[in-house]
Amino acid sequence: MDKQFSKDNFLARWISGDLSSQELEAFKESEDFVVFNKINEASQKLEAPIFNATGLFSKINKQKSTKTSQEETKVIKLVPSWAYGVAASVVIAIGIFYFANKQSSFNTKYSEQLAVVLPDQSKVELNSNSHLNFKKLRWNSNREVSLDGEAFFDVEKGSTFRVITDEGTIEVLGTEFNVVSRDNYFEVQCHEGKVKVVNIDRNQKTILTKGKAVRFVNNDLETWEFNQLKPDWLSGESTFKNTPLLQVIIDLENKYNITFDTSNIDENKRFTGGFTHKDLNLALKTVFVPMEISFSVNENNTIVLNSASKIQTDK
Amino acid sequence: MSVKTKSVCEDSAYKDLFDLHSKSLRNFIYYKCGDIQQAEDIVQDAFIKLWDNCSKIVFEKAKSFLYTVARNNFLNEVAHKKIVLQHQANYKTDRTNESPEFLLEEKQFMEKLQAVIADLPEKQREVFLLSRIDKKKYSEIAEMLDISVKAVEKRMSQALIILREKIGDNI
Repeated sequence: MDKQFSKDNFLARWISGDLSSQELEAFKESEDFVVFNKINEASQKLEAPIFNATGLFSKINKQKSTKTSQEETKVIKLVPSWAYGVAASVVIAIGIFYFANKQSSFNTKYSEQLAVVLPDQSKVELNSNSHLNFKKLRWNSNREVSLDGEAFFDVEKGSTFRVITDEGTIEVLGTEFNVVSRDNYFEVQCHEGKVKVVNIDRNQKTILTKGKAVRFVNNDLETWEFNQLKPDWLSGESTFKNTPLLQVIIDLENKYNITFDTSNIDENKRFTGGFTHKDLNLALKTVFVPMEISFSVNENNTIVLNSASKIQTDK
Repeated sequence: MSVKTKSVCEDSAYKDLFDLHSKSLRNFIYYKCGDIQQAEDIVQDAFIKLWDNCSKIVFEKAKSFLYTVARNNFLNEVAHKKIVLQHQANYKTDRTNESPEFLLEEKQFMEKLQAVIADLPEKQREVFLLSRIDKKKYSEIAEMLDISVKAVEKRMSQALIILREKIGDNI
């Protein structure tokens, strides 16, 4: 094969008719020309397979339209997926909140007493008709109980132990004490160690040492001393020292599940003494005979109290 | 020119583009892969893609977009099979009243030529066929392949040389 024909673009220029006349003449005389010419002529007779343009175009149009209709009917979720995340978070948050604030609650009814051991082995003796609440979570750093009624506390040493009542707050470090908290009546007796009592209404702080007691009757502060190691009610007897009669009656009601009609007596008289928890008749006698009050049971199972002097005058 | 202001998204403009380019594009891919079905699928995909992106493509750029997409699709597909190009059996003849002997020789030559063309490397084959069958100018081929005119000419020359060598003097 002649070398000049295999040069870069000689043949290409020949195909496109760009050869000069001299070049073309020379090429025509070479023996390769016949073959090249034949290849060129023959290849131009070839045809590509029939192209069905309309068929292809309609196919394309079909695909186009399905695509557009797909876009038009894009599905929008009724509930967006992030909503599930939010819902789950809310449930978890509520759960955490619930468990973090879960309170252990103890209630006693009439005639009941209950011994409760707190998480740090402090003991609470709950007297009749009383409620005690506390949070178990992080108890050691936050020793706090709320109380409504009467209870005796034997507190282990540790962080500040708080008893919160409607009438006032007691703060101690480790000690034994008795608390009574009822409507307008708040009494604390310290049996061991030191107790700080804060009255809510007057924001008055009182520090009690062993054997000292304090009470607030209608917000009047009274202190006294005693010498029992434990409150008597733990051993089946209630004792009182210069206590308003109303509190004695409430205690009787709680112990024996009875009701009194006190409309005819002076509830603010003071009572010193005690009654047993085992015999209602004996208890009623020990309380009301010294107070010169007569009692009788009426049809509603209510015990009607009458001051003896009043009866006499009625007669 | 009104053509210049056309948007590809208009159905009429889109149809024009199809009419202008679909056949060359189909042949172009066909020369590469030798599979009509595949070539038409690739053309179809290219035009669908053009439609999907019609708002982003100016009318004048549509052609090169189509060729680029088709080339890429071709490359992405293919396990390059052994190419069997099927040209239409009834090729044109410009002569009449040939002797049967001549016709037979002619037929044999065409069969040989087709086989040799199918054997060409892809790069040379597509250039040769675009030029000889589709009668494209070198500059058009260069645009389709996204290469220089010089490169097209070189491939064309190489194609001819290879064909010449393989066919030999026996014609």
